[in-house]
Amino acid sequence: MEDLAKEVLTRIVRKIPVVKLRQVLGRWERLSERQLRSLDFTQPKWALCENLLSLCEENNITVKQLAEIEMLYRTEYPDQGIWHVFQFVDTPEETQCSDFMHFRDLFKANLKSLINHVSIQMKKLEDESVWIRIAWGENFRRPNHLKPTYVVHHLQTPYVFVSGLTNKHKPLLFQALALSAQCGSVKDVNLSGRCLSALRDLSMRQYKQVFPISHQECLQERDPLPNPNIENEHIKLTEYKQQVASEVFGDAVLPKLETAVYKLETKYREHGNENLVKKDEPFRGVVKFSSSNLLESLKYCVSSGMASAPVTPLLSSITQKGRNYFVIKDKGSGLIPNTPGPKF
Amino acid sequence: MSLLKPFAKLPELNTANVLLVDSEDTFQHVLADAIVQQKNNVNVNVRLARSLPLPAENEDSRPRIDLVVLILHLRSELSLSSAETSLKQLDPDYFLGKVCFVVTGARCASVPHERMAAVRKLATSLHCPLLFTEEQTAEGINTAACRVLNILRVSAGLVPMATGLSLFSLIRSTLPPDLDYQD
Repeated sequence: MEDLAKEVLTRIVRKIPVVKLRQVLGRWERLSERQLRSLDFTQPKWALCENLLSLCEENNITVKQLAEIEMLYRTEYPDQGIWHVFQFVDTPEETQCSDFMHFRDLFKANLKSLINHVSIQMKKLEDESVWIRIAWGENFRRPNHLKPTYVVHHLQTPYVFVSGLTNKHKPLLFQALALSAQCGSVKDVNLSGRCLSALRDLSMRQYKQVFPISHQECLQERDPLPNPNIENEHIKLTEYKQQVASEVFGDAVLPKLETAVYKLETKYREHGNENLVKKDEPFRGVVKFSSSNLLESLKYCVSSGMASAPVTPLLSSITQKGRNYFVIKDKGSGLIPNTPGPKF
Repeated sequence: MSLLKPFAKLPELNTANVLLVDSEDTFQHVLADAIVQQKNNVNVNVRLARSLPLPAENEDSRPRIDLVVLILHLRSELSLSSAETSLKQLDPDYFLGKVCFVVTGARCASVPHERMAAVRKLATSLHCPLLFTEEQTAEGINTAACRVLNILRVSAGLVPMATGLSLFSLIRSTLPPDLDYQD
């Protein structure tokens, strides 16, 4: 087996934890039952890797087939690396390509015509999502399987989730996607995160939102048997805050975002520091909120009173518009993001 | 928005009312539950507030408050500043035996020393007791509840031969001598 294949296999075995590796190899179907059974998963990883290497040589496995292992692992455990969300725009009404075979052939043809050496693998899962793994090469170089790009597209929706894409290959990928999906162009939604299902839910607004209600009785049912000896002075205010928090951020399990970045290009306005106020050019700064579950933290901030109760549009746009990167400029008042939010 | 006055209302028989003022709600609720569940032969009512002044619409239904407990979290600056503004809204008569401070997070190493010093100075200048509690274990919370309950009983006049003022002259917080020199 050639060096590239060996390196790809070693890399794959190193990255994947042993338990998951066992499952994935079981699903791979390129090794026979006897060969799978001969692998001892309790050995140290380097020994396991060598055994696997010899088995693959027996079967004459190619690099492309090795890449299938990685793809299986990624589809099973998608929450690694950072996913960026993009959207198809200017789709003419009559063409909604919802046929996987058609899309696959179009995409492969388009991408191969744009760049010579690429290795593409596509797979359709039961939840109507199409997974594409692309290894990019150049004119005189073979595809680099060590740094693949993953693209996930749900056929009925205009959203695409991409991970591991470099700036060099971005226009090529977008052109191929645009041609295959028969739309005008691909636009950046400015949403990114680690958890793929969270990004999907946020983009497609699938998490439960609460709408303002006029009667407050149902809120009191939430409190499990309040002690009659304990009384809250500010009970109306706390209930209002909780209601507002639920309205803006939704009630059930919130999608798991990690960061929200606000890039400021506004002028410095505080009265204290005179040197900074005098300057005419904008004061450039970046405010970044990060947390293991950002939306839960923001919801708690609002419901406990740390953030002001009619929630500022800066925070509520995260869920309303489904994005977490904002650029704030000074024109007029309020928030003007640099690209408009997704439209349905 | 009214100033809280200690003797504006009539006391009830065998009852004690305590007001917990805290800018964050987790510890407040837990302490309130612990206080109410302690075994005692007195009716204890706990009222919870985020800050003073209290909303005027509860004025009629509110009973006489026997003890105001201000909860300070050393880990947050907001807690201290919010307590200071609340103190201004309290009638001066309360400071004669009806206000006490409960402080959490004193063991935390990342808390700046100035905050602790500021809290001590505040308590000393007002001649109020300063109780330190451990908020993260059930035992710590029960201990805190016990101590608050003991002080409450005295402030409510339910312990014979003891008043709030006499108790506080025994347990009020004082500045350690090295802190005095820092000014």
